[in-house]
Amino acid sequence: MLELVHDAYRYRELIWVLTLKELKIRYKGSLLGYFWSLLNPLLMTAVYVVVFTAFARVGRFDIENYPIFLMCAMFPWTFYQQALSYSVDSIVNNGSLLRKVYVPKMVFPLAVVLANGINFLLSLLPLAFFLWFFGIPFHKTWLYLPVPLVGLALFAAGCGFVVSAANVFFRDTEHIVQVFLRAYFFFCPVIYDLRHIDPKYHFLLSWNPLLYALDGFRLALFYGELPSAGQAVLTVAIGLLALLLGYAFFRRFQDSFPLYV
Amino acid sequence: MADAGNHFKIRLRDIRQRYKRIRKRSRSLRETLRRLYRREPILKQFDALKGVSFAVASGETLGLIGRNGSGKSTVLKIIARIFPPTAGTVEVNGAVSPLIELGAGFHLDLTGRENVVLAGVILGFTRREMEKKLDPILDFAGLQDFIDTPLRTYSSGMAARLGFAVATEIDPDILLVDEVLAVGDVGFQEKCLARMNNFRRLGKTMVFVSHDMDQVRQVCDRVLLLHEGELLAEGKPDEVIRRYLDLLRELGPDRPLRQRIR
Repeated sequence: MLELVHDAYRYRELIWVLTLKELKIRYKGSLLGYFWSLLNPLLMTAVYVVVFTAFARVGRFDIENYPIFLMCAMFPWTFYQQALSYSVDSIVNNGSLLRKVYVPKMVFPLAVVLANGINFLLSLLPLAFFLWFFGIPFHKTWLYLPVPLVGLALFAAGCGFVVSAANVFFRDTEHIVQVFLRAYFFFCPVIYDLRHIDPKYHFLLSWNPLLYALDGFRLALFYGELPSAGQAVLTVAIGLLALLLGYAFFRRFQDSFPLYV
Repeated sequence: MADAGNHFKIRLRDIRQRYKRIRKRSRSLRETLRRLYRREPILKQFDALKGVSFAVASGETLGLIGRNGSGKSTVLKIIARIFPPTAGTVEVNGAVSPLIELGAGFHLDLTGRENVVLAGVILGFTRREMEKKLDPILDFAGLQDFIDTPLRTYSSGMAARLGFAVATEIDPDILLVDEVLAVGDVGFQEKCLARMNNFRRLGKTMVFVSHDMDQVRQVCDRVLLLHEGELLAEGKPDEVIRRYLDLLRELGPDRPLRQRIR
Protein backbone atom coordinates (compact mmCIF):
# COMPACT_ATOMS: atom_id res chain seq x y z
CA MET A 1 0.00 0.00 0.00
CA LEU A 2 2.77 2.38 0.95
CA GLU A 3 4.50 1.35 -2.23
CA LEU A 4 1.42 2.28 -4.25
CA VAL A 5 1.21 5.73 -2.66
CA HIS A 6 4.95 6.23 -3.08
CA ASP A 7 4.93 5.19 -6.74
CA ALA A 8 1.81 7.19 -7.49
CA TYR A 9 3.56 10.25 -6.10
CA ARG A 10 6.81 9.52 -7.89
CA TYR A 11 5.07 9.11 -11.23
CA ARG A 12 2.53 11.88 -10.68
CA GLU A 13 3.65 13.73 -13.82
CA LEU A 14 3.14 10.64 -15.91
CA ILE A 15 -0.24 9.89 -14.35
CA TRP A 16 -1.32 13.47 -14.99
CA VAL A 17 -0.17 13.49 -18.61
CA LEU A 18 -1.96 10.18 -19.21
CA THR A 19 -5.09 11.52 -17.54
CA LEU A 20 -5.13 14.53 -19.84
CA LYS A 21 -4.47 12.26 -22.79
CA GLU A 22 -7.40 10.09 -21.73
CA LEU A 23 -9.72 13.11 -21.57
CA LYS A 24 -8.42 14.50 -24.85
CA ILE A 25 -8.64 11.32 -26.87
CA ARG A 26 -11.92 9.95 -25.72
CA TYR A 27 -14.07 12.47 -27.50
CA LYS A 28 -11.73 13.23 -30.35
CA GLY A 29 -13.62 13.32 -33.60
CA SER A 30 -17.07 13.45 -32.03
CA LEU A 31 -19.11 16.53 -32.76
CA LEU A 32 -20.22 17.33 -29.23
CA GLY A 33 -16.88 16.26 -27.82
CA TYR A 34 -16.57 16.81 -24.17
CA PHE A 35 -20.30 17.36 -23.64
CA TRP A 36 -20.88 13.67 -24.08
CA SER A 37 -19.57 13.05 -20.61
CA LEU A 38 -22.46 15.16 -19.34
CA LEU A 39 -25.00 14.09 -21.91
CA ASN A 40 -24.46 10.43 -21.17
CA PRO A 41 -25.81 10.41 -17.59
CA LEU A 42 -28.42 13.03 -18.47
CA LEU A 43 -29.83 10.96 -21.29
CA MET A 44 -29.79 7.84 -19.14
CA THR A 45 -31.67 9.76 -16.49
CA ALA A 46 -34.19 10.84 -19.09
CA VAL A 47 -34.67 7.26 -20.20
CA TYR A 48 -35.37 6.04 -16.68
CA VAL A 49 -37.65 8.97 -15.92
CA VAL A 50 -39.72 8.15 -18.98
CA VAL A 51 -39.76 4.45 -18.20
CA PHE A 52 -40.74 4.88 -14.59
CA THR A 53 -43.15 7.76 -14.73
CA ALA A 54 -44.85 7.29 -18.07
CA PHE A 55 -44.74 3.62 -18.96
CA ALA A 56 -44.58 1.81 -15.66
CA ARG A 57 -46.54 4.43 -13.74
CA VAL A 58 -44.57 3.54 -10.73
CA GLY A 59 -46.54 5.71 -8.46
CA ARG A 60 -45.63 3.52 -5.57
CA PHE A 61 -42.12 4.89 -5.35
CA ASP A 62 -43.88 8.20 -5.00
CA ILE A 63 -40.80 10.33 -5.05
CA GLU A 64 -41.08 14.00 -5.58
CA ASN A 65 -38.64 15.36 -8.13
CA TYR A 66 -37.84 11.88 -9.32
CA PRO A 67 -35.53 13.13 -12.13
CA ILE A 68 -33.33 14.87 -9.57
CA PHE A 69 -33.54 11.95 -7.18
CA LEU A 70 -32.27 9.80 -10.04
CA MET A 71 -29.55 12.17 -11.16
CA CYS A 72 -28.02 12.47 -7.70
CA ALA A 73 -27.07 8.79 -7.86
CA MET A 74 -26.86 8.39 -11.63
CA PHE A 75 -23.94 10.79 -11.98
CA PRO A 76 -21.73 9.03 -9.40
CA TRP A 77 -22.80 5.66 -10.79
CA THR A 78 -21.76 6.79 -14.27
CA PHE A 79 -18.35 7.69 -12.86
CA TYR A 80 -17.93 4.17 -11.50
CA GLN A 81 -19.30 2.53 -14.61
CA GLN A 82 -17.12 4.53 -17.01
CA ALA A 83 -14.04 4.16 -14.84
CA LEU A 84 -14.44 0.39 -14.87
CA SER A 85 -15.30 -0.02 -18.52
CA TYR A 86 -12.40 2.17 -19.66
CA SER A 87 -9.83 0.75 -17.25
CA VAL A 88 -10.49 -2.85 -18.24
CA ASP A 89 -8.48 -2.49 -21.44
CA SER A 90 -6.10 0.19 -20.18
CA ILE A 91 -3.18 -2.24 -19.92
CA VAL A 92 -3.93 -4.10 -23.13
CA ASN A 93 -4.33 -0.88 -25.11
CA ASN A 94 -0.94 0.29 -23.96
CA GLY A 95 0.64 -3.04 -24.85
CA SER A 96 2.95 -1.68 -27.52
CA LEU A 97 4.31 0.77 -24.99
CA LEU A 98 4.77 -1.81 -22.24
CA ARG A 99 6.76 -4.01 -24.59
CA LYS A 100 9.19 -1.26 -25.47
CA VAL A 101 9.91 0.86 -22.44
CA TYR A 102 9.82 0.38 -18.73
CA VAL A 103 6.67 2.01 -17.42
CA PRO A 104 5.14 1.43 -14.01
CA LYS A 105 2.00 -0.48 -14.92
CA MET A 106 -0.25 0.95 -12.24
CA VAL A 107 -0.31 4.38 -13.88
CA PHE A 108 -2.71 3.22 -16.60
CA PRO A 109 -5.76 2.18 -14.57
CA LEU A 110 -5.10 5.05 -12.16
CA ALA A 111 -5.10 7.60 -14.98
CA VAL A 112 -8.41 6.23 -16.27
CA VAL A 113 -10.03 6.51 -12.86
CA LEU A 114 -8.62 10.00 -12.42
CA ALA A 115 -9.87 11.14 -15.83
CA ASN A 116 -13.35 9.86 -15.06
CA GLY A 117 -13.20 11.44 -11.63
CA ILE A 118 -12.49 14.80 -13.25
CA ASN A 119 -15.38 14.21 -15.63
CA PHE A 120 -17.60 13.51 -12.67
CA LEU A 121 -16.50 16.60 -10.77
CA LEU A 122 -17.29 18.71 -13.82
CA SER A 123 -20.68 17.07 -14.09
CA LEU A 124 -21.53 18.40 -10.64
CA LEU A 125 -21.96 21.83 -12.26
CA PRO A 126 -24.91 20.89 -14.46
CA LEU A 127 -26.22 18.81 -11.58
CA ALA A 128 -26.19 21.90 -9.39
CA PHE A 129 -28.00 23.74 -12.15
CA PHE A 130 -30.75 21.12 -12.22
CA LEU A 131 -31.08 21.19 -8.45
CA TRP A 132 -31.57 24.92 -8.64
CA PHE A 133 -33.95 24.62 -11.58
CA PHE A 134 -36.17 22.15 -9.72
CA GLY A 135 -36.09 24.34 -6.66
CA ILE A 136 -34.15 22.02 -4.41
CA PRO A 137 -32.22 24.03 -1.85
CA PHE A 138 -28.46 23.71 -1.57
CA HIS A 139 -27.84 22.05 1.70
CA LYS A 140 -24.75 22.46 3.81
CA THR A 141 -24.40 18.72 3.40
CA TRP A 142 -22.64 19.40 0.07
CA LEU A 143 -19.59 19.64 2.32
CA TYR A 144 -19.94 15.91 3.00
CA LEU A 145 -19.49 15.07 -0.70
CA PRO A 146 -15.72 14.50 -0.54
CA VAL A 147 -16.34 11.43 1.64
CA PRO A 148 -18.45 9.42 -0.81
CA LEU A 149 -16.32 10.79 -3.64
CA VAL A 150 -13.13 9.41 -2.10
CA GLY A 151 -14.84 6.13 -1.22
CA LEU A 152 -16.17 5.74 -4.74
CA ALA A 153 -12.87 6.67 -6.42
CA LEU A 154 -10.86 4.25 -4.27
CA PHE A 155 -13.35 1.50 -4.92
CA ALA A 156 -13.28 2.20 -8.66
CA ALA A 157 -9.47 2.13 -8.65
CA GLY A 158 -9.42 -1.19 -6.79
CA CYS A 159 -11.85 -2.72 -9.29
CA GLY A 160 -9.91 -1.13 -12.16
CA PHE A 161 -6.71 -2.85 -10.99
CA VAL A 162 -8.38 -6.23 -10.91
CA VAL A 163 -10.14 -6.07 -14.27
CA SER A 164 -7.24 -4.47 -16.17
CA ALA A 165 -4.85 -7.18 -14.93
CA ALA A 166 -7.30 -10.00 -15.57
CA ASN A 167 -7.95 -8.72 -19.08
CA VAL A 168 -4.28 -9.19 -20.01
CA PHE A 169 -4.64 -12.94 -19.57
CA PHE A 170 -8.31 -13.35 -20.40
CA ARG A 171 -9.68 -10.96 -22.98
CA ASP A 172 -13.12 -12.22 -22.01
CA THR A 173 -12.90 -9.93 -18.99
CA GLU A 174 -13.91 -6.95 -21.13
CA HIS A 175 -17.21 -8.56 -22.01
CA ILE A 176 -17.82 -9.94 -18.56
CA VAL A 177 -17.35 -6.46 -17.12
CA GLN A 178 -19.95 -4.99 -19.46
CA VAL A 179 -22.54 -7.57 -18.45
CA PHE A 180 -21.61 -7.29 -14.80
CA LEU A 181 -22.04 -3.51 -14.86
CA ARG A 182 -25.45 -3.78 -16.41
CA ALA A 183 -26.63 -6.23 -13.77
CA TYR A 184 -24.90 -4.47 -10.90
CA PHE A 185 -26.68 -1.23 -11.81
CA PHE A 186 -30.00 -2.66 -10.66
CA PHE A 187 -28.49 -3.96 -7.47
CA CYS A 188 -27.31 -0.46 -6.65
CA PRO A 189 -29.58 2.17 -5.14
CA VAL A 190 -29.71 4.37 -8.23
CA ILE A 191 -33.20 4.13 -9.67
CA TYR A 192 -34.56 3.34 -6.21
CA ASP A 193 -33.54 3.93 -2.67
CA LEU A 194 -33.30 1.50 0.21
CA ARG A 195 -36.30 3.03 1.89
CA HIS A 196 -38.52 1.95 -1.01
CA ILE A 197 -37.49 -1.64 -0.65
CA ASP A 198 -39.11 -4.16 1.63
CA PRO A 199 -36.93 -4.23 4.78
CA LYS A 200 -36.60 -8.00 4.57
CA TYR A 201 -34.31 -7.49 1.56
CA HIS A 202 -32.18 -4.89 3.27
CA PHE A 203 -29.84 -7.50 4.63
CA LEU A 204 -29.13 -8.74 1.14
CA LEU A 205 -28.70 -5.27 -0.35
CA SER A 206 -26.48 -4.12 2.49
CA TRP A 207 -23.74 -6.38 1.14
CA ASN A 208 -23.36 -4.05 -1.79
CA PRO A 209 -19.99 -2.30 -1.40
CA LEU A 210 -21.23 0.74 -3.31
CA LEU A 211 -24.31 1.15 -1.16
CA TYR A 212 -22.90 3.70 1.26
CA ALA A 213 -21.09 5.79 -1.32
CA LEU A 214 -24.09 6.10 -3.64
CA ASP A 215 -26.46 6.62 -0.77
CA GLY A 216 -24.13 9.25 0.66
CA PHE A 217 -24.30 11.28 -2.53
CA ARG A 218 -28.06 11.19 -2.61
CA LEU A 219 -28.51 11.95 1.07
CA ALA A 220 -26.23 14.96 0.89
CA LEU A 221 -27.41 16.33 -2.47
CA PHE A 222 -31.08 15.49 -2.50
CA TYR A 223 -32.27 15.12 1.07
CA GLY A 224 -29.79 17.41 2.76
CA GLU A 225 -29.08 14.80 5.37
CA LEU A 226 -25.92 13.23 6.67
CA PRO A 227 -25.40 9.50 7.05
CA SER A 228 -24.38 8.13 10.42
CA ALA A 229 -20.73 8.39 11.36
CA GLY A 230 -20.44 4.63 11.03
CA GLN A 231 -21.69 4.75 7.45
CA ALA A 232 -19.28 7.55 6.61
CA VAL A 233 -16.37 5.52 7.95
CA LEU A 234 -17.57 2.43 6.08
CA THR A 235 -17.77 4.40 2.82
CA VAL A 236 -14.05 5.14 2.89
CA ALA A 237 -13.01 1.88 4.56
CA ILE A 238 -14.67 -0.19 1.83
CA GLY A 239 -12.90 1.89 -0.82
CA LEU A 240 -9.54 1.44 0.90
CA LEU A 241 -10.04 -2.30 1.25
CA ALA A 242 -10.97 -2.61 -2.43
CA LEU A 243 -7.89 -0.64 -3.43
CA LEU A 244 -5.66 -2.76 -1.22
CA LEU A 245 -6.96 -6.07 -2.51
CA GLY A 246 -7.15 -4.86 -6.10
CA TYR A 247 -3.59 -3.60 -6.10
CA ALA A 248 -2.30 -6.76 -4.42
CA PHE A 249 -3.85 -8.75 -7.25
CA PHE A 250 -2.47 -6.40 -9.91
CA ARG A 251 1.03 -6.44 -8.40
CA ARG A 252 1.10 -10.19 -8.30
CA PHE A 253 0.86 -10.32 -12.10
CA GLN A 254 2.25 -7.01 -13.34
CA ASP A 255 5.73 -8.25 -14.21
CA SER A 256 4.38 -10.58 -16.85
CA PHE A 257 2.14 -8.00 -18.53
CA PRO A 258 4.75 -7.14 -21.20
CA LEU A 259 4.94 -10.81 -22.17
CA TYR A 260 1.23 -11.21 -22.78
CA VAL A 261 -0.14 -7.93 -24.07
CA MET B 1 26.82 5.03 -7.75
CA ALA B 2 26.42 2.67 -4.86
CA ASP B 3 29.69 0.82 -5.24
CA ALA B 4 32.79 2.97 -5.50
CA GLY B 5 34.70 0.28 -7.37
CA ASN B 6 32.08 0.15 -10.13
CA HIS B 7 33.50 0.88 -13.49
CA PHE B 8 30.80 -0.99 -15.36
CA LYS B 9 27.48 0.51 -16.30
CA ILE B 10 25.64 -2.67 -17.06
CA ARG B 11 26.33 -6.15 -15.77
CA LEU B 12 24.34 -9.25 -16.61
CA ARG B 13 25.11 -12.48 -14.83
CA ASP B 14 23.89 -15.84 -16.06
CA ILE B 15 20.72 -14.42 -17.52
CA ARG B 16 18.10 -16.91 -18.58
CA GLN B 17 14.85 -15.98 -20.19
CA ARG B 18 12.14 -18.50 -20.71
CA TYR B 19 9.09 -17.33 -22.58
CA LYS B 20 5.93 -19.15 -21.77
CA ARG B 21 3.46 -18.65 -24.48
CA ILE B 22 -0.05 -19.82 -24.44
CA ARG B 23 -0.36 -22.10 -27.42
CA LYS B 24 -1.75 -20.53 -30.57
CA ARG B 25 -1.99 -17.26 -28.68
CA SER B 26 -5.71 -17.60 -28.15
CA ARG B 27 -6.34 -16.36 -24.68
CA SER B 28 -9.99 -16.80 -24.16
CA LEU B 29 -11.66 -18.62 -21.36
CA ARG B 30 -13.41 -21.02 -23.69
CA GLU B 31 -10.19 -22.12 -25.36
CA THR B 32 -8.50 -22.58 -22.05
CA LEU B 33 -11.30 -24.64 -20.60
CA ARG B 34 -11.39 -26.81 -23.69
CA ARG B 35 -7.68 -27.43 -23.50
CA LEU B 36 -7.80 -28.18 -19.81
CA TYR B 37 -10.50 -30.66 -20.55
CA ARG B 38 -8.46 -32.31 -23.27
CA ARG B 39 -5.33 -32.15 -21.12
CA GLU B 40 -3.44 -30.35 -23.82
CA PRO B 41 -0.43 -28.47 -22.51
CA ILE B 42 -1.51 -24.87 -22.31
CA LEU B 43 1.91 -23.33 -22.26
CA LYS B 44 4.73 -23.84 -24.61
CA GLN B 45 8.12 -22.83 -23.42
CA PHE B 46 10.87 -21.23 -25.34
CA ASP B 47 14.30 -20.45 -23.97
CA ALA B 48 15.30 -17.17 -25.53
CA LEU B 49 18.43 -16.81 -23.41
CA LYS B 50 20.31 -19.72 -21.89
CA GLY B 51 22.70 -18.20 -19.42
CA VAL B 52 24.22 -15.05 -20.85
CA SER B 53 26.77 -13.04 -18.86
CA PHE B 54 28.56 -9.88 -19.85
CA ALA B 55 29.33 -6.41 -18.63
CA VAL B 56 29.47 -3.06 -20.38
CA ALA B 57 32.08 -0.63 -19.12
CA SER B 58 31.32 3.02 -18.62
CA GLY B 59 31.83 4.87 -21.88
CA GLU B 60 31.87 1.73 -23.94
CA THR B 61 29.78 1.04 -27.01
CA LEU B 62 28.83 -2.59 -27.21
CA GLY B 63 27.41 -4.17 -30.33
CA LEU B 64 25.08 -7.17 -30.31
CA ILE B 65 24.87 -9.21 -33.48
CA GLY B 66 23.23 -12.48 -34.41
CA ARG B 67 20.47 -13.95 -36.50
CA ASN B 68 16.83 -13.06 -35.98
CA GLY B 69 15.60 -14.77 -32.86
CA SER B 70 19.06 -15.19 -31.35
CA GLY B 71 18.10 -13.21 -28.25
CA LYS B 72 19.47 -9.74 -29.00
CA SER B 73 16.25 -7.87 -28.38
CA THR B 74 15.52 -9.90 -25.28
CA VAL B 75 18.86 -8.78 -23.87
CA LEU B 76 18.00 -5.15 -24.55
CA LYS B 77 14.57 -5.54 -22.98
CA ILE B 78 16.07 -7.02 -19.85
CA ILE B 79 18.58 -4.17 -19.60
CA ALA B 80 15.72 -1.69 -20.07
CA ARG B 81 13.84 -3.37 -17.17
CA ILE B 82 10.86 -4.10 -19.39
CA PHE B 83 10.55 -7.48 -17.72
CA PRO B 84 12.70 -9.25 -15.15
CA PRO B 85 14.68 -12.24 -16.45
CA THR B 86 13.55 -15.74 -15.52
CA ALA B 87 16.88 -16.25 -13.74
CA GLY B 88 20.10 -14.31 -13.25
CA THR B 89 20.95 -10.85 -12.05
CA VAL B 90 20.98 -7.51 -13.84
CA GLU B 91 22.74 -4.43 -12.59
CA VAL B 92 22.33 -1.12 -14.36
CA ASN B 93 23.92 2.08 -13.09
CA GLY B 94 22.46 5.19 -14.60
CA ALA B 95 19.49 6.51 -16.52
CA VAL B 96 18.62 4.34 -19.48
CA SER B 97 17.04 5.66 -22.64
CA PRO B 98 15.53 2.71 -24.43
CA LEU B 99 15.46 3.25 -28.12
CA ILE B 100 14.31 -0.24 -28.63
CA GLU B 101 11.98 0.57 -31.39
CA LEU B 102 11.53 4.11 -32.45
CA GLY B 103 8.17 5.42 -31.67
CA ALA B 104 7.81 3.61 -28.38
CA GLY B 105 5.21 5.39 -26.39
CA PHE B 106 3.91 7.38 -29.29
CA HIS B 107 0.21 7.76 -29.64
CA LEU B 108 -1.32 8.18 -33.08
CA ASP B 109 -4.11 10.51 -32.02
CA LEU B 110 -1.82 12.97 -30.29
CA THR B 111 0.18 15.61 -32.10
CA GLY B 112 3.95 15.46 -32.47
CA ARG B 113 4.34 17.95 -29.67
CA GLU B 114 2.06 16.04 -27.29
CA ASN B 115 3.88 12.84 -28.14
CA VAL B 116 7.29 14.32 -27.38
CA VAL B 117 6.05 15.42 -23.98
CA LEU B 118 4.39 12.07 -23.30
CA ALA B 119 7.49 10.11 -24.32
CA GLY B 120 9.69 12.31 -22.13
CA VAL B 121 7.40 11.97 -19.14
CA ILE B 122 7.40 8.19 -19.55
CA LEU B 123 11.19 8.34 -19.39
CA GLY B 124 10.96 10.26 -16.15
CA PHE B 125 11.06 13.94 -17.09
CA THR B 126 8.59 16.61 -16.12
CA ARG B 127 6.39 18.33 -18.63
CA ARG B 128 8.24 21.61 -18.19
CA GLU B 129 11.60 19.98 -18.83
CA MET B 130 10.24 18.46 -22.01
CA GLU B 131 8.77 21.75 -23.23
CA LYS B 132 12.29 23.16 -23.01
CA LYS B 133 13.75 20.29 -25.01
CA LEU B 134 11.07 20.56 -27.64
CA ASP B 135 12.96 22.93 -29.94
CA PRO B 136 16.25 21.01 -30.09
CA ILE B 137 14.29 17.80 -30.64
CA LEU B 138 12.37 19.30 -33.55
CA ASP B 139 15.51 20.82 -34.98
CA PHE B 140 17.26 17.51 -35.00
CA ALA B 141 14.27 15.65 -36.40
CA GLY B 142 13.61 18.40 -38.92
CA LEU B 143 9.88 18.27 -38.24
CA GLN B 144 8.98 21.81 -37.18
CA ASP B 145 6.24 22.01 -39.79
CA PHE B 146 4.50 18.91 -38.48
CA ILE B 147 4.64 19.51 -34.77
CA ASP B 148 0.96 20.24 -34.30
CA THR B 149 -0.42 17.57 -36.59
CA PRO B 150 -1.44 14.17 -35.20
CA LEU B 151 1.12 11.43 -35.44
CA ARG B 152 -1.14 9.35 -37.66
CA THR B 153 -0.31 11.71 -40.51
CA TYR B 154 3.43 10.97 -40.15
CA SER B 155 5.26 8.50 -42.33
CA SER B 156 7.18 5.73 -40.56
CA GLY B 157 10.41 7.55 -41.35
CA MET B 158 9.12 10.76 -39.80
CA ALA B 159 8.06 8.94 -36.63
CA ALA B 160 11.49 7.32 -36.51
CA ARG B 161 13.15 10.73 -36.75
CA LEU B 162 11.08 11.99 -33.87
CA GLY B 163 11.83 8.90 -31.79
CA PHE B 164 15.57 9.08 -32.28
CA ALA B 165 15.56 12.79 -31.56
CA VAL B 166 13.65 12.30 -28.29
CA ALA B 167 15.76 9.38 -27.10
CA THR B 168 19.06 11.18 -27.67
CA GLU B 169 18.04 14.69 -26.69
CA ILE B 170 17.06 13.69 -23.17
CA ASP B 171 20.75 13.08 -22.51
CA PRO B 172 20.69 9.58 -20.98
CA ASP B 173 23.72 7.86 -19.40
CA ILE B 174 22.97 4.71 -21.29
CA LEU B 175 21.45 4.50 -24.74
CA LEU B 176 19.97 1.30 -26.08
CA VAL B 177 19.61 1.24 -29.85
CA ASP B 178 17.78 -1.61 -31.52
CA GLU B 179 17.77 -1.78 -35.29
CA VAL B 180 16.36 1.63 -35.62
CA LEU B 181 18.32 3.35 -38.27
CA ALA B 182 16.93 1.16 -41.01
CA VAL B 183 13.79 3.28 -41.36
CA GLY B 184 15.30 6.71 -41.84
CA ASP B 185 16.65 7.95 -45.14
CA VAL B 186 20.39 8.02 -45.80
CA GLY B 187 20.77 11.62 -44.73
CA PHE B 188 19.09 10.99 -41.42
CA GLN B 189 21.05 7.78 -40.86
CA GLU B 190 24.28 9.71 -41.23
CA LYS B 191 23.02 12.33 -38.81
CA CYS B 192 22.17 9.59 -36.31
CA LEU B 193 25.54 7.89 -36.66
CA ALA B 194 27.23 11.24 -36.15
CA ARG B 195 25.19 11.81 -33.04
CA MET B 196 25.99 8.34 -31.74
CA ASN B 197 29.68 8.96 -32.29
CA ASN B 198 29.26 12.20 -30.44
CA PHE B 199 27.72 10.23 -27.60
CA ARG B 200 30.82 8.06 -27.50
CA ARG B 201 33.05 11.09 -27.29
CA LEU B 202 31.02 12.35 -24.35
CA GLY B 203 31.78 9.07 -22.59
CA LYS B 204 28.22 7.75 -22.67
CA THR B 205 27.52 4.05 -22.69
CA MET B 206 25.69 2.44 -25.57
CA VAL B 207 24.35 -0.95 -26.52
CA PHE B 208 23.75 -1.20 -30.23
CA VAL B 209 21.85 -3.93 -32.04
CA SER B 210 22.10 -3.95 -35.80
CA HIS B 211 22.21 -6.16 -38.83
CA ASP B 212 24.22 -3.57 -40.71
CA MET B 213 27.80 -4.75 -40.17
CA ASP B 214 29.25 -1.51 -41.51
CA GLN B 215 27.39 0.48 -38.88
CA VAL B 216 28.53 -1.97 -36.20
CA ARG B 217 32.15 -1.53 -37.32
CA GLN B 218 31.77 2.23 -37.32
CA VAL B 219 30.22 2.63 -33.90
CA CYS B 220 31.17 -0.26 -31.61
CA ASP B 221 34.21 -0.78 -29.38
CA ARG B 222 33.36 -4.38 -28.69
CA VAL B 223 30.89 -6.85 -30.16
CA LEU B 224 29.03 -9.87 -28.80
CA LEU B 225 27.71 -12.61 -31.05
CA LEU B 226 24.53 -14.29 -29.84
CA HIS B 227 23.32 -17.56 -31.30
CA GLU B 228 20.22 -19.41 -30.13
CA GLY B 229 20.31 -17.74 -26.77
CA GLU B 230 23.96 -18.28 -26.06
CA LEU B 231 27.01 -16.10 -26.25
CA LEU B 232 29.10 -17.49 -29.08
CA ALA B 233 31.85 -14.94 -29.38
CA GLU B 234 33.02 -11.70 -27.88
CA GLY B 235 35.76 -9.29 -28.86
CA LYS B 236 36.91 -6.72 -31.39
CA PRO B 237 34.27 -5.84 -34.01
CA ASP B 238 36.25 -7.18 -36.96
CA GLU B 239 36.93 -10.56 -35.35
CA VAL B 240 33.40 -11.13 -34.14
CA ILE B 241 31.83 -10.00 -37.38
CA ARG B 242 34.09 -12.43 -39.25
CA ARG B 243 33.01 -15.17 -36.87
CA TYR B 244 29.36 -14.27 -37.49
CA LEU B 245 29.74 -14.36 -41.26
CA ASP B 246 31.51 -17.74 -40.94
CA LEU B 247 28.62 -18.99 -38.84
CA LEU B 248 26.11 -17.89 -41.44
CA ARG B 249 28.12 -19.69 -44.11
CA GLU B 250 28.24 -22.86 -41.98
CA LEU B 251 24.48 -22.77 -41.51
CA GLY B 252 24.00 -22.47 -45.24
CA PRO B 253 21.10 -20.68 -46.88
CA ASP B 254 18.62 -19.13 -44.51
CA ARG B 255 16.67 -21.89 -42.86
CA PRO B 256 13.48 -21.74 -40.84
CA LEU B 257 14.15 -20.52 -37.32
CA ARG B 258 14.03 -23.36 -34.83
CA GLN B 259 11.20 -23.27 -32.35
CA ARG B 260 12.76 -25.25 -29.52
CA ILE B 261 9.54 -26.28 -27.88
CA ARG B 262 9.61 -28.47 -24.85
